[in-house]
Amino acid sequence: MSQPAEIVVEQLTKAYGKFLAVDNISFAVPKGMVVGFLGPNGAGKTTTIRMLTCFMPPTSGTARVGGFDVFHDSLKVRNNLGYLPENAPLYLEMRVAEYLQFRGRLRGMDRGSIKKRIDEVTELCWLTDRKRWPISKLSKGYRQRLGIADALLHNPPVLVLDEPTVGLDPSQIRETRKLIANLAGLHTVLLSTHILSEVELVCQKVIIIGRGKILAQGSPDELKQQCAQRGSGARLVLEIRGPADQIRSALAALPGIEQARTISDNAVCTVELSGKLDGAMREQIAAMVQQRGWALREMRSAGASLEEFFVQITDPGAAAAA
Amino acid sequence: MSTTLALARREITGLFYSPIGYIVLAIYLLFVGLLFSLLVMQPGAIADPGPMFQWNHLILIFVVPFMTMSLFSEEYRSGRIETLRTSPITDFQLLMGKFLGAMGFYCVVIASSLIFILILSLFGRPDYMTVLTSYLGLLLMGMLMVSIGLFFSACTQHQILAAMSSCVTLVALGILFQAISYFLGSALGVSWAWLRTLRHVLRYLAIEPHMVNFSRGILDSQNIVFFLTGAGLFLFLTYVVLESRKWR
Repeated sequence: MSQPAEIVVEQLTKAYGKFLAVDNISFAVPKGMVVGFLGPNGAGKTTTIRMLTCFMPPTSGTARVGGFDVFHDSLKVRNNLGYLPENAPLYLEMRVAEYLQFRGRLRGMDRGSIKKRIDEVTELCWLTDRKRWPISKLSKGYRQRLGIADALLHNPPVLVLDEPTVGLDPSQIRETRKLIANLAGLHTVLLSTHILSEVELVCQKVIIIGRGKILAQGSPDELKQQCAQRGSGARLVLEIRGPADQIRSALAALPGIEQARTISDNAVCTVELSGKLDGAMREQIAAMVQQRGWALREMRSAGASLEEFFVQITDPGAAAAA
Repeated sequence: MSTTLALARREITGLFYSPIGYIVLAIYLLFVGLLFSLLVMQPGAIADPGPMFQWNHLILIFVVPFMTMSLFSEEYRSGRIETLRTSPITDFQLLMGKFLGAMGFYCVVIASSLIFILILSLFGRPDYMTVLTSYLGLLLMGMLMVSIGLFFSACTQHQILAAMSSCVTLVALGILFQAISYFLGSALGVSWAWLRTLRHVLRYLAIEPHMVNFSRGILDSQNIVFFLTGAGLFLFLTYVVLESRKWR
C-alpha cells in the first residue's frame, strides 16, 4: 500500500482466562481510508477496538495508532483518537452543547477552539437545532449523532466508531453513512459493524473477523472476487428459450461446470450453473447457446455478494465442513 | 489541572441536576437543625455551637455515602467509563476530578449549616474562630468520608452496594469503634495490656474524638494527620482499584 498506515496491529491477542477473545490478529489501516471491521456478534470486534482505544491493554502483541503504541504512549494515542463506543453512553442530565464543552475540556482544548468546534461538529452531525436540548430528551438517533460529534470534536486524525448505525431508523442510517463517507480523506476511520450493506456503501477496505481471528481482508470488490474464486458461492443463472433437457445436458457437459440445475422448464428454461465461471467460460456459454439455435435471454451471476461470503466464512459449521 | 477541574465541575453540577443532591441537602439540614435546637439553642445556654459540630459526623456518615455512591458506579454501569478512559486523561486526573467534585458538593452541604450560626449570632456572640476551626474539622473529616465513599464506588457498578458498603465503614468509624472502646474501658473493668492497646487503637480510629478538638477551637496535629492519612489511604486504594480494573 502506498499510503502510510495510520493504525497498525501486530499479533494482537486478548485472553479472558482461557478464552481467547482476540486471537493473534494483524492488520493495517491506511491513512485517510474508511475501513470496515466486520464480524458477527461476539467475534471480538469490540475487544479489538477497546485495545486500540487504550481502554484495555492487550494480553500480547502490539498496536500502534498514528505511530504511537497503545500501551506505552497511551495518552498520545488517546489525543489523536476520536472514539464512539457501542451505544454512545452519555451524561443524560447535561445539555448537548454543555456536554460537548465538557468533552472538549477533558481533551485540553481551549475555550475559543471548543466554541468554534462545537458549532462545526453540531452542523456536521445535524445537531444545530438540538444544541440547547437536555440529552435525556434526545431520541436514540440524535444521541448517536452526538456521540459522533463528540468523537469528531478535537478533529482527531483517527476515528474509531463502534457500530455507529445501530438503533437508527432507515433515514438516519443513510444520513450517518453519508456523514462517515464524507469523513474519508480527512480522517482515518475504523468502523465496526455487522451490517454488510453498510460496509459495501462506505468502506474502501474490509476486515472480516470471526471467533477472534481475521478471516479475510481487502476491498469489497476484492472480497467478492475471492468469493467467486472459491467457487462454492458463485453461481450463474441463465434464462434460455429452448428445450430444457437438451440445454441442461449441454451446459453440464461443458468443461469446468460442476453442476447444472434446472430451476424452471417452461417455454423459457432457467438454469443455474456452478463451477468455474470466469469471463472466458461465460463467453463460451453464450457462443454455444447461439450455435445451437437457442435464444439467450439473460445471464447473471448470483451469490457472489459479500453477504454470501460473510455467512460462508463466519459460519462455524461451514468452516468445519470445508 | 483544567481537565481535573472540568471533571470536578461536572460532578458537582451532576449532583445538583439529580434529586439525590437535594435530598442529601434537605436531610442534612433537618438533622443539623435538630442538633442545633436540642444541644445549642437552649434558654440561658451560652452561645457555643460546639456540640453541633462535635456530633455532626453522626449525620454525615449516613449522608455522604449517597453523595458518593454514583461517582464511579454509574460510570461503569452506563458505559461512560469507556468515554472517560479513552479521553486523554490519566487515572490520577480522573480520581482527583471525582474527589474534588464530591468535595465541592460536600462543602456546599456543610456550608448550608451556616444558617444556624447566623441564627445563633442574632441571639448571642459565638466565638467565630471556634466556628472557623470547626468548619476546618468538618472539611478534613469530609475528605476522609468522601474518599471512603469514592473507594467503594470504584469497586462496584451497583450504586446501592457502594452506598451500603461505605455506610457500614463509616458507621464503624463514626459509632462502632467508639462504642466498643467505651465498653472495653468501663464495663469490663479488667486491665490486660493488650485490651488497653486495642481500646486505644479503636479510640484513635474513631471519628468523634478527633472532632472534639476542632469543635472546641483546638487545632491538634494528631487530628489533622488522622483525617489526612485516612483520606490519603482510601484515595490510594481507589487508584489501585482503578488501575486494576484495566487488567480484567
